[in-house]
Amino acid sequence: MPGTRPTDPAIATQGLTLSYGGHTALHPLTLEIPRGEVFGFLGHNGAGKTTTIRLLTTLLSPSDGTAQVAGHDVNTEAMQVRAAIGYLPENVRLYDRFTTRENLTFFARLSGVEDPAAQVDRSLRFLRITELADRRVGTFSKGMRQRVGLAQAILHDPQVLFLDEPTSGLDPMGVRALREIIDRLRDRGMTIFMNTHLLSEVARSCTSIGVLAHGRLVFHDRISALDGYDERALEELYVGVAQEDAA
Amino acid sequence: MSTLIAKQALRGLARDRGVALLAAILAVMVAVSAFLGWSATQTVNAIYAQAVGWLTAQGAPVPPNPLHEMPPLASLRNLPVYVSFLGAFAAIVIGQALVETDRRAGVLPLIGTRAVTAATVAKGRMLALTVATGALMSVAGLVSILALLTLPIQMGLADWFSLAAALALGWLYMTIFGLLSLGLAARLPGTAAGLLAGTVAWLAITFVLPALTGNVNPTAAINPVSALASVPDMPVFHWLSRLLGPVSLSEAFGWLEARAMGYLPAGLAPRAPLPLLSLGLAFAASAAFALHANATLDQTGGPDA
Repeated sequence: MPGTRPTDPAIATQGLTLSYGGHTALHPLTLEIPRGEVFGFLGHNGAGKTTTIRLLTTLLSPSDGTAQVAGHDVNTEAMQVRAAIGYLPENVRLYDRFTTRENLTFFARLSGVEDPAAQVDRSLRFLRITELADRRVGTFSKGMRQRVGLAQAILHDPQVLFLDEPTSGLDPMGVRALREIIDRLRDRGMTIFMNTHLLSEVARSCTSIGVLAHGRLVFHDRISALDGYDERALEELYVGVAQEDAA
Repeated sequence: MSTLIAKQALRGLARDRGVALLAAILAVMVAVSAFLGWSATQTVNAIYAQAVGWLTAQGAPVPPNPLHEMPPLASLRNLPVYVSFLGAFAAIVIGQALVETDRRAGVLPLIGTRAVTAATVAKGRMLALTVATGALMSVAGLVSILALLTLPIQMGLADWFSLAAALALGWLYMTIFGLLSLGLAARLPGTAAGLLAGTVAWLAITFVLPALTGNVNPTAAINPVSALASVPDMPVFHWLSRLLGPVSLSEAFGWLEARAMGYLPAGLAPRAPLPLLSLGLAFAASAAFALHANATLDQTGGPDA
């Protein structure tokens, strides 16, 4: 990608803030996530996780501070940021009356993919959902939709993938399948920023974590620094830092 | 990219049963309108033929056939009524559907995180709307042409051009409401709120304004015969007519259609000083509103989870 260096972090924020109507949804956030990381962003409901993703994906403009994603500034280079990212929101439904292939082809074209048909086939194969290609999305379960949603997010081989509560509403089989997909994406070198409140997902899939409480980053470290932490210990850590912040 | 957005939106509309139903009703009503015109023409013609026979037997002079003094397109004079009613309402539904489909599908954040500007997406939706209303008017035009070809009337080249002008005016009028609805749908989340706001604007333009500018009976405003009457001779109507005439779009449309199709009563002045300018300005204003509302549409997909 022109204008970026391989040594640039995948995501870097400096005092990124969002305030509106006297309320601060995100207090100044300073964070750096190297390329190739799977970053788990933990926090209670309403902590500001989705707001952070929306700021980093250029859907919202910060009221203060800056952020770079894939080496591009979210304020001044929004189009370059968008070209370098993939995004799966929490409640993606897609066009019900269209088939999987029709949905994906539209998003591939919108992303400027050179050979949309071939890229759609590749994504379907990667996610092992070729049997869903010509079925209407309106007939799909939540898990199926989530996979098709993930397919649209990776169609253009983004450098950074944002997943907002990707396991929300999935059954255990769906969660396992999604985890396996995340592992394979990580193996391809993709940086993944994942919002979740499932500690088990963080423990199994992530290489680093951040904990957000009431719009403030209260913890950020690599998972390797938490050696010896099992899921229960992580829960203790999470509850501890969240309560500390609230106090 | 606007073309890509427009194509996707049009494919979505083509699969929307509500829009398909409205389009079908509009086509049927235009066909009914043409049939009524044909039926009235046939009746007059039959009565005239009987009268000719009777007058000839009596040795009385035979007057000319009244149908030959009627403009050929007068048989389609109900067309503007259906465009005002069903066409404008169909355009409101289409404008609403173009935004609401994306919102309901949860794809706004997916589109908003692609390397496409919000203004490009907005222009794509506007393009889809103008094509959709154009398709509706084309159906109405096709039905009208088929009807005219089967009627016992002579259509000259100028008459066909007049029909084209009348259809173009119909498209312009429908698209004004469609663009307004497109903007309202972007501003007001939720199908009910968007549709209600568009319908209220349509009701005000179709019924309330003409009532204020001079028609005691508001439904007469869309009637091609009784609406084309002079303002009652009362000072209040004269003042309201002057004040609101330029924005009374349905009256401007009715007057222009009557003139284009040749059945405008001689000497009847329009409510607006320049009715075509009124429609043109309304089109420009609704287009600017639709563009701004859609270019600033909240693409986050809703409140923070």
